[in-house]
Amino acid sequence: MRFTYLQHIPYRHFGSDFVDKGYEPVVSTPYFELAHPNLVHADLRDAIDELLYAARSGFDAVGLTEHGQSAFDMDPNPNLGAAAVAYAIAAENLDTGICLVGRSLGKSREPLRVAEELGWLDNLSEGRLMTGFSVGVPYDANINAGIPPIETRARHNENLALILEAWRAREPFAWNGKYSQYMKVNVWPRPFQAPHPPVSIAGTGDPKTTRLALEHDFGFNLVGPTLSQAQQHIFDGLWRMADQLGVDDNPFRVNVAQFVVVADTDAEAEKLYAKHIEYSATRGIGAIPAYRMSLPGSISPAELRTLLAGMPTADPPAPEMPSYADLVESGAIVAGSAATVRDILEDRARSYRVGHLMVQLQIGSMPTELVRYNIDLFTAKVIPALRSTWKEYEPHNRWWPIRLGGRPVSPIQSEPTGATVT
Amino acid sequence: MTIASQRRTEAVDAWGRRLTLRFEIEGSGPPLLYLHPAGGMLWDAFLYRLAERFTIYAPILPGTDLADTMAIHQLDDIHELVLAYEGALRSLGIGDAPVIGQSFGGMLAAELAVTFPGLFSRVVLLAPLGLWDKSAPWDLDFMTTPPDALPGLLFKDPECEGAQSIFRPPDSPDQALDNTVRSIWALGCVAKFLWPVPDRGLSRRLHRLIDPTLIIWGQDDALIPVSYAQAYRQLIPHSRIEIIPDCGHIPQLEKIEITARFVDEFLK
Repeated sequence: MRFTYLQHIPYRHFGSDFVDKGYEPVVSTPYFELAHPNLVHADLRDAIDELLYAARSGFDAVGLTEHGQSAFDMDPNPNLGAAAVAYAIAAENLDTGICLVGRSLGKSREPLRVAEELGWLDNLSEGRLMTGFSVGVPYDANINAGIPPIETRARHNENLALILEAWRAREPFAWNGKYSQYMKVNVWPRPFQAPHPPVSIAGTGDPKTTRLALEHDFGFNLVGPTLSQAQQHIFDGLWRMADQLGVDDNPFRVNVAQFVVVADTDAEAEKLYAKHIEYSATRGIGAIPAYRMSLPGSISPAELRTLLAGMPTADPPAPEMPSYADLVESGAIVAGSAATVRDILEDRARSYRVGHLMVQLQIGSMPTELVRYNIDLFTAKVIPALRSTWKEYEPHNRWWPIRLGGRPVSPIQSEPTGATVT
Repeated sequence: MTIASQRRTEAVDAWGRRLTLRFEIEGSGPPLLYLHPAGGMLWDAFLYRLAERFTIYAPILPGTDLADTMAIHQLDDIHELVLAYEGALRSLGIGDAPVIGQSFGGMLAAELAVTFPGLFSRVVLLAPLGLWDKSAPWDLDFMTTPPDALPGLLFKDPECEGAQSIFRPPDSPDQALDNTVRSIWALGCVAKFLWPVPDRGLSRRLHRLIDPTLIIWGQDDALIPVSYAQAYRQLIPHSRIEIIPDCGHIPQLEKIEITARFVDEFLK
């Protein structure tokens, strides 16, 4: 298995009034009332430091992703943080990849800028880049960026096709798209890796996204939902679809994000991390209202029908303030001693059939010292025990940079996909 | 109320045969075009009453029919929608008829009228979308309003008969699911022409609306401030407004008698 340290950049200092006043951690979060510039500075600085600490501690890659207007992840463009990290990793000559989990192409109005920035990062990092793209979550693509929900997926597909062509084209070319037009496309620089960095697609379970990844041999990054039962269902669907499409079942085509906290004992984990996890649940990612994650038009009628029909109507609603115990019990957080965490992650890696794991070791209000402690235990006591899982598939891992042991990407990854309707 | 419906439908090739525009047709008399709101086509008491004097032609917005939900992708923007509708009206030979548009349908009626001056004999706009000014901001949050909060948003009195008539519980879980999928997708289709700020520049075009125009607005519209009635009147040369007291966003349902009287007199 290969392990990526995935970093969100949350504002770590909200008080309990955040909950009392019914604030949400996205879109409408009051800034001047709740945030202080010195603390924002500290949060950004700590996040970069934690990424580098993880890289130096032996993670195979470090990762960032994109969320605009989000207090739970102040990361409007992951290329910003990646630039700082890429410089340091290259300067120190670490064997660490840089994974951008999901640059949102459904919201991008400047796809060539994305292509060029990623080319730049790949050169600065000397070929350590892995480029993930995503359709984008509705609150970000549609509310924050103003794209009509019904157009998000088609825009993503067109932008993806343009970026892949822009990276590979030997000569300047014209692009007459529905969402963008250019007479001369000739990005500088082209990527360091040939023909381009490994490409993956981030999704939350919509079968259309899974299909896109499988059909083009892109990697697939699952970035939610975080309940283990829901994830199992998604992976069962993915591997069934792979079988139907005649695509191989290499576990390394999949990367899954997990929240993980490790301590000396299960009890110690609760003592150290509970309040930070509860912070995340009530003032961070866990507090995003459901309606921010779906808007009319973002899911086509057939998928919507399947989704709604599968939803239990009689279940009691989730508790408004889930406790640490609730979150561990439900599987949303993998927590405990190194042995407990190893067992759960190995079990998931096997049952999901995933070779790449993205672990989020900074959660909610966790201070940087505690994050480092979590990183230390994870790299020392969890990674070594899981390292050899799926090793028989490693020789065919084409979703990882070549200089870090990956195989060349499939030619089909580079074929433009074009704009398709939702 | 029992209504002997004679409804029929007509499917018209439109937009260079890229899509089929389906018209629901009801009533007898000279033709009248009715353009439905974002929630979809609903035959209500106001329309049945009109159908006693007119043959109502009600085109169904492409994509909002569950039979062909992907039709919406054939239309890129409001201008293409307008051209597609005008072509279909010509094929049907129902030019020079009056038009009534409710909410999104009102915006569409205005867009048709400014693009094709003289297309209609008279124009009735019932709380139309289409204008937006920062002095009276409004938004599209109604698209994610939970079902139980919707009556309170659309009606001054959520208990009124008109409100009750459209929020009837479905007959079966399967029908409930169909209804939910249909209405969510319909909003998604309409959002394509409104997102993110529901202003496609109509205010710059309304001077071209030369037909006599009646603008009706509920005094207590919680969705679009009633001040937009004045804005419409100022921008449309031959227009007048009627503001209905104690009335929300859907005058034709909440105050059917008053609304019908205004419309009847205007269309005489």
